[in-house]
Amino acid sequence: MTLVVMEHQAGAISRASWEAVAAVQSVGAGEAISLLLLGSGMDELAAMAAVRGVGPVYVVDDPALHTYTPDAYVMAVRAAVTALGPTLVAMAHSYQARDYLPALAARLGAPLVSDVVGLRLEGGELRFRRPMFQGKLAAEVRAVGESPTFVSLQIGAFRADAVASRTTDGGSAPVERLAVDFTGFTNRQTVEGPFREARQAVDLSQAERIVAVGRGIKAQEHIAVAQRLADALGAELAASRPICDSGWLAMDRQVGSSGQTVAPKLYVAVGISGAIQHLVGMKGSRTIVAINKDPDAPIFEVADYGVVGDLFEILPALTSELNKRGR
Amino acid sequence: MTTPTRETLEVDVLVVGGGPAGLACALRLSQQAAQAGISLAVAVLEKSREAGAHSLSGAVLDPSSLRDLIPDFEAQGAPIAAPVESDRVYFLTERRTIRFPLVPPPLVNHGHVLVSLNQLVRWLADRVEKAGVDLFTGFAGQEVLVEDGRVVGVRTGDRGLDRVGAPKPGFEPGVDVRAAVTVFCDGVRGNLTKQLLARFSLAEGREPEQFAVGLKELWEVPAGRLPVGRVVHTLGYPLRHEEFGGGFLYGFPENHISLGLVAGLDYQDPLFDPHDAFNRFKRHPFVTGLLDGGRLVRYGAKALPEGGWNTIPRVHMDGALIAGDAAGFLNSMRLKGIHLAMRTGMLAADAAFDAVQARDASAERLSSYQRAIDAGPVRRELHPVRNVHQAFGAGLIPGAAFAALALLTGGRWVRDLAGHAGHSRMRTLASYHGAHLAAPGHPRRPEADRQLTFDRLTNVHYSGTAHREDQPGHLLVDTTFCTTRCGPEYGHPCIRFCPAQVYEVHTEADGTARLQINAANCVHCKTCDIMDPYQAITWVPPEGGGGPQYNGM
Repeated sequence: MTLVVMEHQAGAISRASWEAVAAVQSVGAGEAISLLLLGSGMDELAAMAAVRGVGPVYVVDDPALHTYTPDAYVMAVRAAVTALGPTLVAMAHSYQARDYLPALAARLGAPLVSDVVGLRLEGGELRFRRPMFQGKLAAEVRAVGESPTFVSLQIGAFRADAVASRTTDGGSAPVERLAVDFTGFTNRQTVEGPFREARQAVDLSQAERIVAVGRGIKAQEHIAVAQRLADALGAELAASRPICDSGWLAMDRQVGSSGQTVAPKLYVAVGISGAIQHLVGMKGSRTIVAINKDPDAPIFEVADYGVVGDLFEILPALTSELNKRGR
Repeated sequence: MTTPTRETLEVDVLVVGGGPAGLACALRLSQQAAQAGISLAVAVLEKSREAGAHSLSGAVLDPSSLRDLIPDFEAQGAPIAAPVESDRVYFLTERRTIRFPLVPPPLVNHGHVLVSLNQLVRWLADRVEKAGVDLFTGFAGQEVLVEDGRVVGVRTGDRGLDRVGAPKPGFEPGVDVRAAVTVFCDGVRGNLTKQLLARFSLAEGREPEQFAVGLKELWEVPAGRLPVGRVVHTLGYPLRHEEFGGGFLYGFPENHISLGLVAGLDYQDPLFDPHDAFNRFKRHPFVTGLLDGGRLVRYGAKALPEGGWNTIPRVHMDGALIAGDAAGFLNSMRLKGIHLAMRTGMLAADAAFDAVQARDASAERLSSYQRAIDAGPVRRELHPVRNVHQAFGAGLIPGAAFAALALLTGGRWVRDLAGHAGHSRMRTLASYHGAHLAAPGHPRRPEADRQLTFDRLTNVHYSGTAHREDQPGHLLVDTTFCTTRCGPEYGHPCIRFCPAQVYEVHTEADGTARLQINAANCVHCKTCDIMDPYQAITWVPPEGGGGPQYNGM
């Protein structure tokens, strides 16, 4: 038999899981396919799965499965596989599957074919097509070793709407609960609440004013001098490549061909010679002010205002004057 | 984290490097298989993202090999820019231009054509893919796979490592590509061929390899500057008699000029700076007159194998062959290597095909490659001029005299000349310049007007070079001697011989010097790997896909 492990989130079965069902149906020759659902309080979802009439729906319903953890999932799917004895276990190649499926297959000493984009039968044996070399090549592989064969199916490679009902009367398939004994199970993972990662990247492209520092700043501790000017101007701090390369400022503050392209109203280039790699990232700025010791620095070719001089004299003077006037 | 299992790909013949040699080899293999009516799995690994992106040459092409490979290449639309119409050779002094009354026979290019190697390689890659060969662009060979003393394939580079080599999300380990025969066409100073040379002692009994570095620019100039099909070579300025090399200027269609300077990587002056020499070349009145008012389109640099016949290593071993620039198949007298790269690629294909058919990829079976080289046009062309580069080691005048003698006698004389590895000829500051010269820090500010002449960093921009920043450095530098010895003794020659400002020496607040490596600037020319006086720099491929973008070069 074939078992498809169905993934769900926020009270709905994932589309990718139905794609996985369609994938195995395409080589199943009308054979019934069993579905497996894991979670806690699963009656409603089980009914939603059953109504598609694909085949029997097995449910492992336990508080231990309330939130996904690899340990609990490995244990639950392993128990289901032992109880049901499928020859093929399929699921979507989701982040979840990537997380726990290799461990599960390894525990059972069973083969795993991941990221599959096509299946076909040859002489009664399944052949799996999967991409290699970043998708430049498709390899056809077959599984060798212990049953079952675990397969994860690339998301989007199959059509979820191709899932066919296999019940004779078009009605719901049966739902059956599988009892898995979680007593004595220690979960090595503790789960914290979901959160959205803070947008760390500084979006310099939206900044109206930018103070950018270059090699002329000489040392990391001097960056504070430019930061004070940026504060006085209400500007974002940015830098040329050498500064970010040395780790003095984060990479997301780099302006230029290997960093961000910016076009603020005001761009103050401090101690930046103006290598072309930097210029291509900022020459669209409306007003460019350059402060540099070297009168021949190429930055002056694109600057609207240029100050030839020592930035360690000019910046503090500029900052204090700005602070006097308020913004 | 444990290393995930590697993917393995099995093919009959693996070709490493999608340049003229590798692509000619792959195409020839597919032709052989078609003729025999068998199926043959051939794969080509190429580190550049698109075929030809890292291919750089002058280039004047002797089309003999191309014609043998694709007899109707013109009808098939090969990107031939123009036939060579006329040759000129000039001797330059700082201000004067002296035309040679006669063009030396090796430099007569009648019947040859001007090409952009980038375009030619792209076109060849297209033929190769249409012939059913799997061309994997964006994949660099990282390591030679050797089992029981025989080459069984190549491991490609890992993807998705961060700066310190730790896997990031999306990490993919390299793939093991296994083959009955692997043909290494990884170009001048190829990183895998370098592994093979050491592992199989392939250079035993051979003269040391010799190299030069070529810096090239493509310009668009006002009409009427250089006739289409005009091929100009220069000797002399900006190089001194002790420095091997010369300049070239080729007239391409649509008012484009391909110009460059080739400088031997066996110079003695530790302060010699090939990039600065190239700028001085462009400031020579003869060159300025051709470029003035034009604009730079593209820049690039690449090393060339110049050593010739006696420096070519053993090119066959159990399970593998070496072809093209990787083995040094270049005629430095005629300044041509593309046709020899293609020719040796084709001959390697014949030997590999024979080995696959016979199910015997032993060195002995594969030695049919060496015999084919010896019996055919490769030896016929290279053997007579085998001592020429070594002779130039004595200087321009003796070298030229020697070259003339070689032509007259067909290279038959008593004793072959010995060469020295180029980096070992570099002299210390004290020895070359005398004690009065204090060790300089950075080179003097380049006189770059950003119209005619450019600083390195601007030039790098025009090479289209890009690497993903967050990856391990691909220039492995042993910095043990960097500030303690190399600085005082040689004045950090890496900051001068690198044409892409990968190396910078910065003085820290406490007065100590620190080497900064800007690996993202690297144009993959291999000069540092070759010329470092302590041989402390090893070039390894960056993550596949990174590098220059030599469109039209």
